[in-house]
Amino acid sequence: MKTATTPRFKQNAREALANPNIQAAMSTAGGGFSLKRRQARAAMPEFDDLRDLARDIKNHTLANLGDYLEAYEAQVTADGGQVHWAETAEDAQAIVLEICRKAGAKTVSKGKTMISEECGINDHLQAHGIEPVETDLGEYIVQKRGEVPSHIIAPAVHVTVPEVDELFRREHPQFPADRRLDHEAMQAEARAVLREKYFAAEVGITGANMLIAETGQSVIVTNEGNGDLTQSLARVHIVMASLEKIVPTLDDASTVLRVLARSATGQEASVYTTFSAGPRRAEDPDGPEEYHVVLLDNGRSGMLGTEFQDMLRCIRCGACMNHCPVYSAVGGHAYGWVYPGPMGAVLTPSLIGVETGGNLPNASTFCGRCEAVCPMRIPLPKMMRHWREREFERGLIPGAARYGLALWRWLAARPRAYRAITGGMNRVLSLLGRARGNMAWLPLARGWTDHRDMPAPEKGGSFQSQWAKR
Amino acid sequence: MSGRDRILAKVRKAARDVPMPDRLKPTLAGTSGAAAVQQFIAQAEKVNATTSRIHSMDDLPQALAEELRNRNLPAAIRTGDDPAFDRDWGTVERTTGAGRVAEPATLTRAEMGMAETGSLIFASGPDNPVTLNFLGETHFAVVDAEDIVGGFEELWTKWRAAGRDPRTVNLVTGPSRSGDIGQVLQLGAHGPVALHIFVVGSPENG
Repeated sequence: MKTATTPRFKQNAREALANPNIQAAMSTAGGGFSLKRRQARAAMPEFDDLRDLARDIKNHTLANLGDYLEAYEAQVTADGGQVHWAETAEDAQAIVLEICRKAGAKTVSKGKTMISEECGINDHLQAHGIEPVETDLGEYIVQKRGEVPSHIIAPAVHVTVPEVDELFRREHPQFPADRRLDHEAMQAEARAVLREKYFAAEVGITGANMLIAETGQSVIVTNEGNGDLTQSLARVHIVMASLEKIVPTLDDASTVLRVLARSATGQEASVYTTFSAGPRRAEDPDGPEEYHVVLLDNGRSGMLGTEFQDMLRCIRCGACMNHCPVYSAVGGHAYGWVYPGPMGAVLTPSLIGVETGGNLPNASTFCGRCEAVCPMRIPLPKMMRHWREREFERGLIPGAARYGLALWRWLAARPRAYRAITGGMNRVLSLLGRARGNMAWLPLARGWTDHRDMPAPEKGGSFQSQWAKR
Repeated sequence: MSGRDRILAKVRKAARDVPMPDRLKPTLAGTSGAAAVQQFIAQAEKVNATTSRIHSMDDLPQALAEELRNRNLPAAIRTGDDPAFDRDWGTVERTTGAGRVAEPATLTRAEMGMAETGSLIFASGPDNPVTLNFLGETHFAVVDAEDIVGGFEELWTKWRAAGRDPRTVNLVTGPSRSGDIGQVLQLGAHGPVALHIFVVGSPENG
């Protein structure tokens, strides 16, 4: 697995804010996602009711997860497929490598899968002489750049168009150096290069947006069609999915689909929604001859029954990061591990521990937009607060912050002292800011004043003193 | 104890009694008959598919020949063994089998259509190999107007009743696309660059 740089979040964020390419790319992406989601929501009168329904379906499923997992496994087996249970990322690496070795794989084509990122499958395959080829256009770009995705559904959102131009000229020397590369030409070029790869790969790995207990199907939802070529043209298909991807029936899957695409990209439906069960049938002219599902736990079963269980409802649409002011400013890589944005801030400490991931729940202004747009109504800010508490309890918070909090606690519990001190501060600030109406510098508050001015207090004293006069 | 048993034991420990909620059918999924066909066509065109209506499957060879000509495509088509395609293709050369690396034009028959999203529903198998839905530069599809339903509810009810159990069920909604370069949507990613749907007959024909 990739080493997490989450403990350096602050440093990562500073570097991202100073990186002109990331800033240009993030401002281009900007409001596009949120505008499209808003339009899709407006066009579906029952959208919010469907979110409630999706939440309730998932709550029921998580409460009965054992039964549904067993029912699912039985269906996969009946269709001639095989379910492999992986307790850890290392287990998943070993299972995937073993299947690839048995298949005599030299190259492995890959549809988009965040579970593979979580388990570090690409590095593991490469270390054992097998070449993984990412086929999702965004994943292809980040793989060629030697990076990991910076967004769970738009992996290359941090990359500018001129950077892609430069990358393709370097990575595709088979084409004339002076060719014209506009959007259409770049996409056609990647299409042509990758078309060969699907046919060459012995094994195709995809993720799964859902697993259906009723039918034993894995479901992938894509716009490019790469996942389908990956799983149809290789001799062996491996699905990588985590436990909580289970839904009971096709009807429940439909409810999730109705909120997924609208929340993710603002589409009413993604272009390709594919349900796969087992290997090709005897009479089929195409499709894989072997079908394996790697079912990953990696810490999720430990979240059940805790205050973090609701996080297991997540369907990975990305709406929370698309609407997050912190994510939009620093991009996904600053978060330093696989899952960025608000969902990553909650999930990362659960999966890699609060010691390593504890910085992320602090990377929030608690504006609440993530919860407001979450199709599964996951209370993300509340769970970030739970993590902050745990971080504090374990003494992982640096000294200055601890003393500051202790001082605040002392003050907040003593109304008279609080009134006296805040009243005094109010008067001092009013004096300091009287000339300009704001202050460009304040002692002990450079973290604020380095980036914006501090407004001087309104006339009339503090809130409490004004309130007392009413 | 195996990893499987340990995982199952852990998830069972948290088991609680949480009821399954009642279902909800959105208005968008509420059409049927001719209205569903109209909605299907409108939704499919909204996501950049093109459509045309033909009276019966007998009209397909001529309609396809015209579409190929209008798009400056060679007079050739790749299909599966679907008996619905056993007919005289005239000047169009028909080959059958799974998809190959380069397929200028493919033709497959959808089992059903869904008005809610303008999606086609395909079943894999020798009649309509799954790769033909993805490898064609231009993908032609036929769907019988009789088989167009309002939403997911009718779709799965009919699907289960028909007892279909293919390896793959594909819901296809427009031609492939990606926004991964500069977040600008561009048609024709790894799947078809264009999708044309022939809607056959009309539900009133009975």
